[in-house]
Amino acid sequence: MKEYDGRIRLIFKDRPLAGHALARPAHEAARCAGAKGKYWEYHDLLFEAQPAFERADLLLYAGEVGLDRAEFARCLDERRFAADVEADVRQAVALGIMRTPTLLVNGRRIEGAPPLEEFRSIVEQALRERR
Amino acid sequence: MSRAPNPTRRSPRVYYIVFACALVFSAAEAPAQVELTVAPFMAKGPADAPVTIVDFSDYQ
Repeated sequence: MKEYDGRIRLIFKDRPLAGHALARPAHEAARCAGAKGKYWEYHDLLFEAQPAFERADLLLYAGEVGLDRAEFARCLDERRFAADVEADVRQAVALGIMRTPTLLVNGRRIEGAPPLEEFRSIVEQALRERR
Repeated sequence: MSRAPNPTRRSPRVYYIVFACALVFSAAEAPAQVELTVAPFMAKGPADAPVTIVDFSDYQ
């Protein structure tokens, strides 16, 4: 979405689904990476590597993005970001978001990943409405 | 330093925004308004961008 640089703000929210046992640690791990300035690199790695999210995997990915693995392990094991992930889940539930991905484009709700052209059209419409 | 999970804790790195989410569950229901927390490191793009996309996703 480079073509929209400067015109879009993207906010990622954690919505690990209850049936995905390995999802929550992965979301917490991403925040551990984020606390060290590597959120988006780690985020991208997780999507590439899914569903390999055992503890050893998460530590491996931390090393791949250049994080100190021992320090990262402490963050993960202490579950430093458990409350933050849970807060996101509660907010999602309050909005009735029960499937992923769910996007809010200037508040307009889109369930599922739309094809690129449809997504582009939605963004263009949102941009026109703000002019 | 360890931080025990605490649902009431608010990290200084986290700020709060309110989205008036026009979520139409049915024609009879009013739009929901929910306070969303945003961790700055989980957001990219200018804060005053004309379009904000909030992506609720599951890594698994």
